[in-house]
Amino acid sequence: MELKGHGGKPLVERVITDKAEAKKKIQGLKQVPANRQMATEAIGIAYGFFSPIEGFMKRADVETTCKKMQLADGTVWSIPIVYDMSDKEIAKYGIKAGESVCLTYDGNPLAIFDIEEIYSYDKESIAQDVYGTKEEKHPGVARTYAYQDKFLGGKITLVNEPKVREPFTPYFLTPRQHRLKFAEKNWQRIVAHQTRNVPHSGHEWLMKHAFIATHGELPVEDMETMGKAISGVLVNCIVGEKRAGDYIDEAIVLTQDELRKSGYFREDIHMVSMTFWDMRYAGPREAVHHSIIRTNLGLTHHMFGRDHAGVGTYYHSYEAHHLLMSIPKEKLSITPIYVLEWAYCPHCGEVTCIGLCGHWKELQKFSGTKIRSIIMDEVKPTRLIFRPEVFDVVTATAKKYGFGSPFVGEEYLAKAKPAFTIEPL
Amino acid sequence: MAETFPINIWINEERYQALQKAGLANLLKEELAGMKVLIIPCNKAQREKVLKLFPTAKYDKATTKSIELLPKAVKDKIYTLAVKRKTLNVMDEFIKEVEKR
Repeated sequence: MELKGHGGKPLVERVITDKAEAKKKIQGLKQVPANRQMATEAIGIAYGFFSPIEGFMKRADVETTCKKMQLADGTVWSIPIVYDMSDKEIAKYGIKAGESVCLTYDGNPLAIFDIEEIYSYDKESIAQDVYGTKEEKHPGVARTYAYQDKFLGGKITLVNEPKVREPFTPYFLTPRQHRLKFAEKNWQRIVAHQTRNVPHSGHEWLMKHAFIATHGELPVEDMETMGKAISGVLVNCIVGEKRAGDYIDEAIVLTQDELRKSGYFREDIHMVSMTFWDMRYAGPREAVHHSIIRTNLGLTHHMFGRDHAGVGTYYHSYEAHHLLMSIPKEKLSITPIYVLEWAYCPHCGEVTCIGLCGHWKELQKFSGTKIRSIIMDEVKPTRLIFRPEVFDVVTATAKKYGFGSPFVGEEYLAKAKPAFTIEPL
Repeated sequence: MAETFPINIWINEERYQALQKAGLANLLKEELAGMKVLIIPCNKAQREKVLKLFPTAKYDKATTKSIELLPKAVKDKIYTLAVKRKTLNVMDEFIKEVEKR
């Protein structure tokens, strides 16, 4: 069955699942090793996470993405998806436009890359257009400047599917698999919670707020029965390149899931999955990109809070909301749910929305940094701000996967196994 | 008043009792539904030295306006010094000790 993705276009699925056919297709092709980011994005393209993109972008798409926030065909698009290579590597592998190569990863075949164009593009110009700054201390800008000097554009076909390791295995679903799950659950409306965090109660209430807003005018009567929900929350964790001090991915995925397992969300309204993507911290433009990915996963709504995907002080707290509001509904079909912060009010004795509570001066705002600081100090937070079961999972994942810490450190960066591998074909 | 760039040390029950004995419990601030935090002030020069001495640490100017991501062992030493000296103004002494090593 053909599925519709972003822009109303068919969901891209460029995967050869028959191994014999895959082996035949790559026979005689030059083998070109892909680095981790390029391999990750090739996988994302092939499964349709980035539909309608069928491959790494050619110059015309990069140009319109940067200058007009759209692909050359007019589809809304905010972040260039490019394959970079140095002149030296291009010469080493004898790569020419018009030929196909076999990208490899872990020394094994990954994807066929039909190279249609080899071009260069001013990296400072990408930085300014996409990130609004040329400062290298912005991590997205640093990533852009780190690209090699040439870009290769053309279609990607996955010939060897990734093997996702434990504990991530059950959480990695392709866009098609997401949609099948939603159909099984009979969800009519699904709101995305984008995260790269272990959840504190502020996050939990943001999700609950978004769920209620998403369910909206749909009937509630059947929901008196467990298992009859028709709306759901999808926590879609971003798993990608880590920086020192980030939560380890295992802690993020498993703590998010614990919220449902421990009953803070009903079994029939909450689900956790993950998407491979290296955060660009592009703030408003990344919010648009997240909308596109979640549209492709089959979601109807997307929650956006304060400073979505921002970094430092580069973007205004609600700049992502403003950009999303400027895009016509027919161009971006997912409905944004804008949410205000939730905070602890000592007067009310509960976690409350800052847009509702009148004890304005008493509010104690959540901050991811503060919560990290509490966890780093090995102090168990109070249950109103951090669920004890979630804290226990943080501790357990630190021991099992984090070399003693729930935060990325040098040892984790050096020794942690990658989330996926490519096995021999 | 001069701007400060604090270090937040979160306090568990055991440490709370130690601070009570040291007469410092009244200096604790309550945050986030009853969590207790000892706020060690740093001036700008002290902040710069701390960030240089401990490269994993960051000054969070966007949200908390405090020095964060200091290793636990470092914060433990600052805490111990504060209890020993019965004051929060320990950063000069702490920095000198680290620089001596």
